[in-house]
Amino acid sequence: MNEAVETALRDRLAELFGSGTQLVRAALLGGGASMEAWAVDVETPRGPLALLVRRAAGGRIYREALSLANEFRVLQAASEARVAVPRPYGYFPDVAGREAFAMERLRGETVGRRIVQKPELSAARAALPTQMAEQLARIHALDVRSLPFLPGANDEAPLRRSLEILEAQLDDVGEPHPAIELGLWRLRRDLPRDEERVVCHGDFRIGNLMVSDAGLVGVLDWEFAHVGDPREDLAWPLVRAWRFGNERQSLGGIGDPEPFLERYAQLTGRRLSIGELRSFELLGNVRWAIGALTQARRHLAREERSVELAILGRLAAEVEHEVLSLL
Amino acid sequence: MGDRPHAAQLVEAVREFIEAEVLPAIADARLKFRVLVAANALTIAQRDLQIGDELVAEEIAVLEKLTGSRAVGTPRERSTALSRELARRIRRGDVPPGALETLRRIAELKLRAASPRYLERRS
Repeated sequence: MNEAVETALRDRLAELFGSGTQLVRAALLGGGASMEAWAVDVETPRGPLALLVRRAAGGRIYREALSLANEFRVLQAASEARVAVPRPYGYFPDVAGREAFAMERLRGETVGRRIVQKPELSAARAALPTQMAEQLARIHALDVRSLPFLPGANDEAPLRRSLEILEAQLDDVGEPHPAIELGLWRLRRDLPRDEERVVCHGDFRIGNLMVSDAGLVGVLDWEFAHVGDPREDLAWPLVRAWRFGNERQSLGGIGDPEPFLERYAQLTGRRLSIGELRSFELLGNVRWAIGALTQARRHLAREERSVELAILGRLAAEVEHEVLSLL
Repeated sequence: MGDRPHAAQLVEAVREFIEAEVLPAIADARLKFRVLVAANALTIAQRDLQIGDELVAEEIAVLEKLTGSRAVGTPRERSTALSRELARRIRRGDVPPGALETLRRIAELKLRAASPRYLERRS
């Protein structure tokens, strides 16, 4: 199986980088039932490259997640707009029967708990709030019309649409969660009107950012990109679950939200207070509560057996507690 | 069928074995993380077996008080039926007075089994 993938990769990468390209190493990293990640080293005619190849794994992907083809197109658009992303190299419709794409393999730390705790990353933590704002400003400036395949691209009211999707996902979980229902009820009442529609990353938080000693080096995991309200992306990294145990620093456990919001306001003119984001922080928590339950369902429905997915069904209680504390 | 070790004691024995003998033998960081998750899952199972009945009984009591309804069946069936009724009412916009306080109490009950340390940190 892996040999077939290696053989196919060797061919595709030679087509991409020129004949004479040698595949030095291809190692399957982690990955779930729906996606594989390969660390691939190649020797091209112009020198060595460290690649990360994402390849579909055949399992059912998450509803609302982009196909690899579209994720690659978003990555290209972000790269062209000088968002800090791994450089996209090529999309392959067929690598041993499944689609894949190759991008630059960045070096750094992505594990949330380590980013929050490691002493040698303290300078990075100090730099991250403004760096995160600068990246979000660039993402939110991407041209919506150039990415017409994004979910929500044809929707005039993305916030209403978000709530409808969340209700449907909660129904799919198939067990009652009145605490989350109360959060949704409050959001239907209090969520501000739709204002602007921008390209949203959809999962912009510590854990999906590559961080080095100097701070942010890459925005990763674009599969939930969509057209939506910029305030969704701004509040998502404030969600308690993404503070990785350092709860007092409400921006991802690495800093305070004020410098993040201030820098974003300077760059975009969208000046938002933490109070104005409160409904969106609630929305984020409701979304993650339902997300955790949905992931546990993948285990329970035998789509992807995993103790890590299974335990999320119970840790969702922490997120329900947070939802209620925000009401 | 009162032979020992009973379920909670068996789960505890496996968790202790994992923590004392398996974890120290693992070098791979990713595998180590997953084994820690597995050990945590066993801890939750152990607490379910030890205090789950008591937690479900209290959940049923507060849900009956809030909704004014009664449900039949095993305790777990009753708790699910009452939660489902409350969830449907809230979805329709019919939020019973006192729902927030009751649901906060239930969230604490859930966390006593699933994540007591989180509960301690937050309260």
